[in-house]
Amino acid sequence: MATLSIKGVRKSFGSVEVLHNIDLELEDGGFLVLLGPSGCGKSTLLSIIAGLEPSSGGDVVIGERTVNDIHPKDRNIAMVFQSYALYPTMSVRRNIGFGLEMRRVDTSSREDAIGRAADLLQISHLLDRKPGQLSGGQRQRVAMGRAIVRNPDLFLFDEPLSNLDAKLRVEMRTEIKRLHDRLGTSVVYVTHDQVEAMTLGTKVAVMKGGVIQQLADPQTIYEQPANMFVAGFIGSPTMNFLNGTLENQDGKLVLHHGEETLELSGVAKGASAYVGKKVVAGIRPETFSKGAGPSALTGIVDVVEPTGPDTMVVLDVGGQMISARLGSRERPHPGEPMTLSVDTTALNLFDPETGDRI
Amino acid sequence: MTSNPQSIMASSRPLSTWDRINPARYIGELSETRFWMYLLLLPSALLIMGVVIYPTLYGFQLSFREMRLNRPDLGTDWVLLKHYQRMLSDQIFWISLRNTAVWVTAAVTIEFSVGLIAALALNRNLPGTKVLAVFILLPFFLPNVVAGHMWALMLDPRLGVINDLLVKVGLLGGYKAWFADPSTAMAAAIIVEAWHSFPFFTLLLLAGLKGIPTDLYKAADIDGAGSISQLRLITLPMLKTVIAAAVILRVIGLVNSPDLLLILTSGGPGRSTQVLSLYAFQTAYKDFNFGYAGALSVIMFILLMMFAWVYVRLSKVNQD
Repeated sequence: MATLSIKGVRKSFGSVEVLHNIDLELEDGGFLVLLGPSGCGKSTLLSIIAGLEPSSGGDVVIGERTVNDIHPKDRNIAMVFQSYALYPTMSVRRNIGFGLEMRRVDTSSREDAIGRAADLLQISHLLDRKPGQLSGGQRQRVAMGRAIVRNPDLFLFDEPLSNLDAKLRVEMRTEIKRLHDRLGTSVVYVTHDQVEAMTLGTKVAVMKGGVIQQLADPQTIYEQPANMFVAGFIGSPTMNFLNGTLENQDGKLVLHHGEETLELSGVAKGASAYVGKKVVAGIRPETFSKGAGPSALTGIVDVVEPTGPDTMVVLDVGGQMISARLGSRERPHPGEPMTLSVDTTALNLFDPETGDRI
Repeated sequence: MTSNPQSIMASSRPLSTWDRINPARYIGELSETRFWMYLLLLPSALLIMGVVIYPTLYGFQLSFREMRLNRPDLGTDWVLLKHYQRMLSDQIFWISLRNTAVWVTAAVTIEFSVGLIAALALNRNLPGTKVLAVFILLPFFLPNVVAGHMWALMLDPRLGVINDLLVKVGLLGGYKAWFADPSTAMAAAIIVEAWHSFPFFTLLLLAGLKGIPTDLYKAADIDGAGSISQLRLITLPMLKTVIAAAVILRVIGLVNSPDLLLILTSGGPGRSTQVLSLYAFQTAYKDFNFGYAGALSVIMFILLMMFAWVYVRLSKVNQD
């Protein structure tokens, strides 16, 4: 059973349509990440799911109820905001229990629920403090406590980790994953951080310009991106795009890029229709390895960036910059020539006109 | 951070004669000390001493002296607590004190309530609210004297437009002299005062409302809080500091300013609209009894200080 179904949802502000015919399904207990750059409409979509923003068309179904005209409080959802939205004049205890208080849950049941949520999030010692007396991470936990205390059908997270420092963000990310595993409640999570999307989501919807570019599990999104936007948005460093012409050479598909020739094996069957045409090869930096081979590129080393576990090398291949992730012991020198072989089974080809994967 | 060799050489260079007598150098060095703060505060502190503290202290000492301009034969000797003792048996003082309490409480309550409603409406950012904001704030831009005369004319028993309207819609049997009837004079004056000054609350509360993050209301929507609960549990607690400051400022203004009542009623009919500030003003500038007027002012000062202290403590503003 789907916890959340979004059917043909549209949203316009005046004459500007910011969400175009969105269709989504989230299975019970799933973790859907809405991922995209600023202004892609992901937060607007979340607000429509929450009922904080009316849609201009389409249906939002939570469980088996169409909730288009149902007030946020009656949708049985809980939301964690980017700003946490904790009530500054109330104690942590009252913040967490506020939803129950408004639903007239009796004091002892409320206290029990607050206690359980606080224990789960390890904030029992903070219950009598005000939000102003808490650190960023503690506020984040209180905001999550307020969400979980009501046992909602659906959790909505709106970039909840954006205001935390890098170390805390990683810790809280793990915390959210652990919480989801333990509670099993469905989650819709908005972020522009691809690492959060890849690590947390059971399903990722990559959005751009109010349109879902691809909806799939994280691994599929990474390995088989639907188009060049998704391919470029996911992965750090970003995927390399190598322009070239596809040829059939002795029964094998090859890609010509300037003087370089890449022998392609394991690429999509539809690629043969592009023989003689221009294509874009998408190559992930980690699919390069040092040394020659049937599919290899030779260029001049431009920049070398040791990161500890890896060494990032930027190579000038016929005027096009290519990033490669090599082993930590590799230390080429800028200016010297270098040959890298490519694992073409992990390579994607794109139509340069539409940007779609071939 | 380590200094580079050049800066080390520059700092160890012997001072030239000009460097030694250069005043900018002394000011520069002084600005690095903790005395600099006091030096910067000195001009404004002197100004405040001259125009606020000295007159206040002079007023205090006046309240312990005889000072009647129309009775030079009494001299200007110290009379210690004579004026304060007289106050205890002065019926007009007690009537004025009671009227002041009614005047201030009613005016602040109405001004705050209307001001809050106006601020909440303007904060919704609906089309036309910017133009509406200008109209709402207009009364506050009128000087008290102008507003007083305008309303005196509008409520005039023969020429007033309000009497005319009320008679025409049938709410009033005949034209009424609102300020001449002891049972309506205070209420009419309070309405004029509230009309004139509610934008003060609107302005401050609107500024406070703008500072409340909209996410709080979204969270409250999801938590199931209705409009009244949101107002009671989120908006008003978050406006607490602004409300406390606005109420204190307004109470001080109302207690200290006799101008509107002076124009509308001069404290009459009888003593029905006599308030302390008006009584002190009339005692000084009609009876020329500056000693007693000084004592009345001192009592007002003490009452205001007590009010501000109790109010701040009760509203728990300091705790946030």
